[in-house]
Amino acid sequence: MVTKLKEVDAVIVGLGWTGGILAKELTQAGLKVVALERGVHRNTAEDYALPGVRDELRFVHRHDLMQNPARDTITVRNNVKQEALPMRRLGSFLPGDGVGGSGVHWSGHTWRWTDNEFKVRSMYEARYGKNFIPEDMTIQDWGITYAELEPYYDKFEYVAAVSGKAGNIKGVIQPGGNPFEAPRAREYALPPLTDIQSSKMFSEAARNMGYHPFPRPSANASRAYTNPDGSKFGACQYCGFCQRFGCEANAKGSAHITVIPIAMASPNFELRANSWVTQVLKDPAGKKVTGVRYTNLMNGEEYEQPAGIVLLTAYAINNVHLMLLSGIGEPYDPVSQKGVIGKNYCYQTGVGANLFFDDHNFNPFMSAGGSNHTIDDFNANWDFDRGPHGFVGGFTIGAGFNTSLPIGNRPVPSGTPAWGTAWKAAQAKSYQTAMNIGSSGSVMANRYNYFDLDPTYKNAFGQPLMRMTFDYKANEHKMGELAAKLVNDIAKAMNPTSFNRASSRQSWTVVPYQSTHNTGGTIMGVNPKVSALNKYLQNWDYHNLFVVGANVFPHNGSYNPTGPVGALAYWTADAIKNRYMKNPGPLVQA
Amino acid sequence: MKLLIQALMAAALINAGAAFAQDATRGQKLFDECAACHSPDRTAKDTVGPSLHGVVGRKAGEGADFRYSPAMKRSGITWSADTLSNFIADPQKLVPGNRMPYSGLPDAKDRADLIAYLQANMK
Repeated sequence: MVTKLKEVDAVIVGLGWTGGILAKELTQAGLKVVALERGVHRNTAEDYALPGVRDELRFVHRHDLMQNPARDTITVRNNVKQEALPMRRLGSFLPGDGVGGSGVHWSGHTWRWTDNEFKVRSMYEARYGKNFIPEDMTIQDWGITYAELEPYYDKFEYVAAVSGKAGNIKGVIQPGGNPFEAPRAREYALPPLTDIQSSKMFSEAARNMGYHPFPRPSANASRAYTNPDGSKFGACQYCGFCQRFGCEANAKGSAHITVIPIAMASPNFELRANSWVTQVLKDPAGKKVTGVRYTNLMNGEEYEQPAGIVLLTAYAINNVHLMLLSGIGEPYDPVSQKGVIGKNYCYQTGVGANLFFDDHNFNPFMSAGGSNHTIDDFNANWDFDRGPHGFVGGFTIGAGFNTSLPIGNRPVPSGTPAWGTAWKAAQAKSYQTAMNIGSSGSVMANRYNYFDLDPTYKNAFGQPLMRMTFDYKANEHKMGELAAKLVNDIAKAMNPTSFNRASSRQSWTVVPYQSTHNTGGTIMGVNPKVSALNKYLQNWDYHNLFVVGANVFPHNGSYNPTGPVGALAYWTADAIKNRYMKNPGPLVQA
Repeated sequence: MKLLIQALMAAALINAGAAFAQDATRGQKLFDECAACHSPDRTAKDTVGPSLHGVVGRKAGEGADFRYSPAMKRSGITWSADTLSNFIADPQKLVPGNRMPYSGLPDAKDRADLIAYLQANMK
C-alpha cells in the first residue's frame, strides 16, 4: 500500500550541492520544500571528525560514503554488440550517497566552463567547417552563454570558498592566474592555496617551455572564511585526506556545512533521509508531473509525495535513471537517433606520467584537494589550433599531490618487480621521491555512447538497472596521443632520474578509478527534438519538472564539472523564483 | 573544588582586566580562525569542537558535553592565558594526540589578542 502524503510546493530528489542550493533558495523564497535523500544524514562533528575520518581502508577501499552497488548499480558495455554486465563493485567512478552527496568527498576543483563548451558546434564549424566534426559526433550548443552564467559562477565560488588566482578580470589579464579563462567580475573568494614542491617544479618547467601555469582553483579554504550566507569555514590544514573523505576542518566547500543547514533552519523545509525515490508521477493529461513515489528504507513502506514542482538533483546517472524509469520523454535509440533520454552520455579521459627523482623528497602526505598547478594552453586557449591534430575539445595538464594515501599511493618505476624485496625497496624509496603529471581531457558526444534501461538486470526494488554503453572514439584517441606526448615532454624537461611514460587510453574499462565526472543523458538545449531540457533545466514535456546536475551537459569538457553544476543550480533557482512562480509554464517556447 | 574554581575564575577575571591591554577587539576578529568549529557563545551547543565560552580557568577535557580525546582528558592542563597560548601555538606539541585539526597560530601577538578576547568572553 502506498500512503499518500500532503502536497508540498516542491520536492527535491537527492540532497547534495544542487539539491542543497535549491532547498535553500526555494525555502527562502517562501516555498514549502521536502527533500528526499536515499542515504543517511551525516555531519562533520559525528562523521568526519578526527581521528575516525583518517581511515583510508574504510573510505577509499570500502567506499563508506559511496552508493552501495548491492542495492542499485549500472550495467556496462563498450558497444551495442556486447551484452552489458552489472558493475558489482564501484571502480571507474564513485557516486556519493547521503546528505551532502559527492560534495562531501570531492576534491573541490572548481572551474568555469566557457563558450568553448557552450557553443561547441557553432565555434568549431565556424573555424574549421562542418566537415571537421565527424558525422557520429552528436555535439550541440548548450543554449546558454558564459556571460549569462558568470554571475552564478561567482555566487557559487563565493559560497563554496573557492581559493584561486584570477587570470582575467573584466578582460584585463592578471599575472599569476589562468590567462585563458573567460573574464570574471572579480577575484576569487580566497587567495590560492600554498604551493607544494611538486607543483612548483612543474610550473617552472611548463613556464620555461612557454606555457602558462597557474594554481588550480579549488574549494579548499586557503584561510578561515565566512561566506556571504554566513557559513563559517576553517583554514585548510593540508592533511592529505581530501578526495573521498569528509573534511575534518570544515575547510572544504560542501553543501552539508553551507546551504543545507540554512535550509534546515527554515520551518519551510523538511529533510527525509533514507528515502529512495522510485518514480516521478505524471498527471493523466501529460502536461505536469504530480510528485514522486518513494520507499522509506528503514521500514520498506512506500509513500507518494505530491508536489507542485519536482526537482531531480541526485547524482547525474541517477537523475537519468529516474527519468527512464518514470517514462518521461522518449528514450534515446542510437540506431534511429530518435528520442532524447539517455542521449549524449560522456565520460572523461586522461593520461599520466610518474616521475622519479633521486634528489627530491616531496612529502606527498601534505596536500590540499587542490594543491596542483595546471596549464590550460590546450583547452580554454582557443588560439591552440586543433586543425592539424584533427580533434574537437581539449585537455588540461597539471601536477601536484591530492590525497596521496599511505595504502594506495604506490608509484614505482617501470620494470620494478610486482612483488617481493625489490618491489618493497622500490616503493619505500619512491613514496617520497615520486610525483605525477596528469592530463584531463574532454569527451565529445557520440551517437553510440548512451544510457538506456537494461533488459536483464534489476535493482533491489525490482526496477531495471541503468545500462551504460560507452567507449572512447577516434576523437579521444587523437587527443590522448597529443596529451601523452606533451606530458612526456614536460616530464623530460623536469629532468627526473627516470619516469614512466604517459600513453593514450584506448578503450574504457570499469576499473580502476578514473573520474566521477559522468555527464549527459538528460541534456539541455534549444530544440526539444534533440534535448530533454531547456536552458533553465526545465523539462520540455512537463514544465514543473527540473533536472539539475552534470546530466544536463550535452558533452563533457576537460575541467571538473562542479563549477557549472553549482552555477546552473543557482541559475535554475533564480528562474523558478523570479519567473516560474509568477507564471508557471514553459520558460522557453519550443 | 568549588572554592578552587571560584579562585580560578577570580584569577581569570583579574587576568582579563590586565589582558585588556591586549587587543580583545582584534582577538574577536582573529576568532574567525576558530569559528568553523568552535562557538564563543555560552548557550551554543558543541559542534565540531567544544564551545569556548568561559574556557579560561576550565580544566582541559572537562567542558560540558563534548567528546574529548583521551589525550586531552589526560593532559592535566588548566587553561590559563599561558597554557592556551602554548596550546594554540602548536596544538600537537602541547597535547600530542589531541583531535583538533589545526596546525597552530604562530604569531605571539595574534595569540595574545585572541586569548584576550576569550578572557573577555566569560560572562
